[in-house]
Amino acid sequence: MRKPEFVYVTYIETTAEKLWEALTSSEFSRRYWFNTELKTDWKVGSPFALVMDGTTTDVGEVLEFDRPRRLSYTFHHVLSEAARKERPTRVVFNLEPHGKLVKLTLTHEDFEDGSVILDGISKGWPAILSSLKSMLESGTALAIPPSALGIEGFA
Amino acid sequence: MSKPEFVYITYIETTAEKLWHALTDGDFTERYWFGHRVASDWKVGSPYRFAKQGAGTIEGKVLISEPPKRLAYTWDPCSADAKRERTSRVTFDLEPRGNVIKLTVTHDNLDEGGKTLRDISGGWPMVIASLKSLLETGHASPADLPSCAAKEKTDA
Repeated sequence: MRKPEFVYVTYIETTAEKLWEALTSSEFSRRYWFNTELKTDWKVGSPFALVMDGTTTDVGEVLEFDRPRRLSYTFHHVLSEAARKERPTRVVFNLEPHGKLVKLTLTHEDFEDGSVILDGISKGWPAILSSLKSMLESGTALAIPPSALGIEGFA
Repeated sequence: MSKPEFVYITYIETTAEKLWHALTDGDFTERYWFGHRVASDWKVGSPYRFAKQGAGTIEGKVLISEPPKRLAYTWDPCSADAKRERTSRVTFDLEPRGNVIKLTVTHDNLDEGGKTLRDISGGWPMVIASLKSLLETGHASPADLPSCAAKEKTDA
């Protein structure tokens, strides 16, 4: 049986440096990530938190910071009791330049069997990464209504 | 164990009508689908065919055609290797959400561990990323993906 994981690949017309900046700076994340800020100093081993509209939604620790190629952090959803009981998962971004494009591969893995957050992150990442691509290519992030994602409790 | 399927969701700032046109018009697909032109009358039961420089690449028949909401067709690569696999199916769902369209591509009825599964898992993210760029910025992804050229070689 294959381990549950979520993988999303997209291609963005940008540079690896600009994409790295967008993945690690709150100035950008607020625009494409539903007003989410990234609270961390990005040192390996440092704490990491996602703060949406002032509410901490996820916490973790920086695992890898290999600019501008590979970024990873642990990811522990803290908004619900059931999610808090699960072990932290892991998010990995791989950036590979191909000519004028960067191939971005997001892998979210290490879920417990029957994880309560797998469904939500599977709906969330495509919206976040679609908006990120739009922001980098056209200058404007997408205005996706949160309710469009179909995630319980996120509307 | 569930049969393998590939699902890819993206959000595009466009209208459902423009996205439908982009999925079904040969001049349009040629621009973002790395030179592949589609042709069909898009009636349910009708054949359709993708061709690159006149040579067939993918063919099948139209299963669902509900503009601008839902399009589905069977998927048979015109290559000797893939011919031995079962016919798979692609479904496009277009859902307006505010001023963006949620596009869900579902490719199912695939052979476990087959060449088609491998090819389409790499191919859809490239094609859909290019489609999104074309609709949002007016130009498709530059066709300088090494894996893209490699894929065409194996398709030929």
